[in-house]
Amino acid sequence: MTLSDFTSFLMKNSKTIMEYSENHFTLVLLAVGISLAIWVPVGLLLTKSDKWAARVLALANTIFCIPSLSMFAILVTIPMFGLGRKSALLALVLYAMMPLIRSVYDGVKNVDRNVIEAARGMGMGTRRILIEILVPLGMPIIFAGFRITVVMTTGIAAIATYIGERNLGRFIQEGLIRSNTPMMVTGALIISAIAIGLDTILGLVEKRIVPKGLRISR
Amino acid sequence: MKWENFRFALFEKAPEALWEHSLIVVITITLAILISVPLGIFLSRPKFKKFGLVTLNILNLLQAVPGIAVIALALPILGLGMEPAIVALMFQSLLPIVRNTIAGLLGVSSDVKEAASGMGMSQRRILIEVELPLAVPIILSGIRTATVYVVSMGTLASLIGAGGLGNLIMGGLSLFRPEYLLVGAGLGALMAIFLDRMINYLEQRITPPSMGAE
Repeated sequence: MTLSDFTSFLMKNSKTIMEYSENHFTLVLLAVGISLAIWVPVGLLLTKSDKWAARVLALANTIFCIPSLSMFAILVTIPMFGLGRKSALLALVLYAMMPLIRSVYDGVKNVDRNVIEAARGMGMGTRRILIEILVPLGMPIIFAGFRITVVMTTGIAAIATYIGERNLGRFIQEGLIRSNTPMMVTGALIISAIAIGLDTILGLVEKRIVPKGLRISR
Repeated sequence: MKWENFRFALFEKAPEALWEHSLIVVITITLAILISVPLGIFLSRPKFKKFGLVTLNILNLLQAVPGIAVIALALPILGLGMEPAIVALMFQSLLPIVRNTIAGLLGVSSDVKEAASGMGMSQRRILIEVELPLAVPIILSGIRTATVYVVSMGTLASLIGAGGLGNLIMGGLSLFRPEYLLVGAGLGALMAIFLDRMINYLEQRITPPSMGAE
């Protein structure tokens, strides 16, 4: 495959690429949005009970182990979900459980106890401590979890093409079936570029939002 | 759902698929360990620290590439079959092991190393008898991450003709046979969870009690 194959594929199929990208991003946005809405509160709640935290984290870990293709395949056999967006969304939200809950829990738990006590001594209520102390100070770890979730969701969403999503994974699927190498490689390169791009951008944001004294060294 | 199909999938198709899948996982992880542990040791030596940062960044970038894209890119470069799949999967399983090897070795307290050198141990002996044993739990946790990843992406390897449980799942999806899906996907999930638990157990057994995490 040469560069001209690649560019001619891009030119000829720009409309399809746009359509697939749009579908891809809609799915990723929905999945990440729902995941944040569910798992961040759950993670915050778990900081109250160590017993439940251990149980839920073990469950999240186990779910995270399940191969993505297996997860999609199992959900498809449940009549309520079937082929299509519902199964894809549920699978992605379940995968996001582990990084999001874990990072929110770790982030909040890692806050220095003295700081919390000082805040309480200043007369702050539990709610204000949560919003003004725990979340901002836990942000570096929470954001790192968010970054992993976004990059991971983008990649796994591509596999949802096998259960009927029409997204960027479809180039790979069809390219493989028709032994159309330019199509397959273009699809793979676009997805990789998006994933690496998102990872890099969120990495930069991560550095910006974190107070200097709190930056985690990697 | 028909019992007949289920039985066929479980007893006729699954054993071979499971065998191929295990083969892919074992070979990939063995190769990944053989490459990344020495690489991690090499990069954790103070002399090569700068080089280590560059390598880690490159591996980080590789890690961000979705598994399905790696599989798709492996086909035109490496061809069809089990070997190309193993090479592709191996590349992505390097990062967690290299990273954890470096973290584990750098995490060994300098007091311990000084004590060892005070006892007259050479750098080599310190590495083999002090640093590596202390770092093993962390290295194992990297191997665990890599193993779960390879089991997971191994299901996609069937797309480029590597066989394995992915064959059952893909067959089930294209014929829409839920029995195939349940058998293939279920075995894949069980395999990943089983390996994760097993390596986790090893990690805990091998960690000296005084070093146990929380």
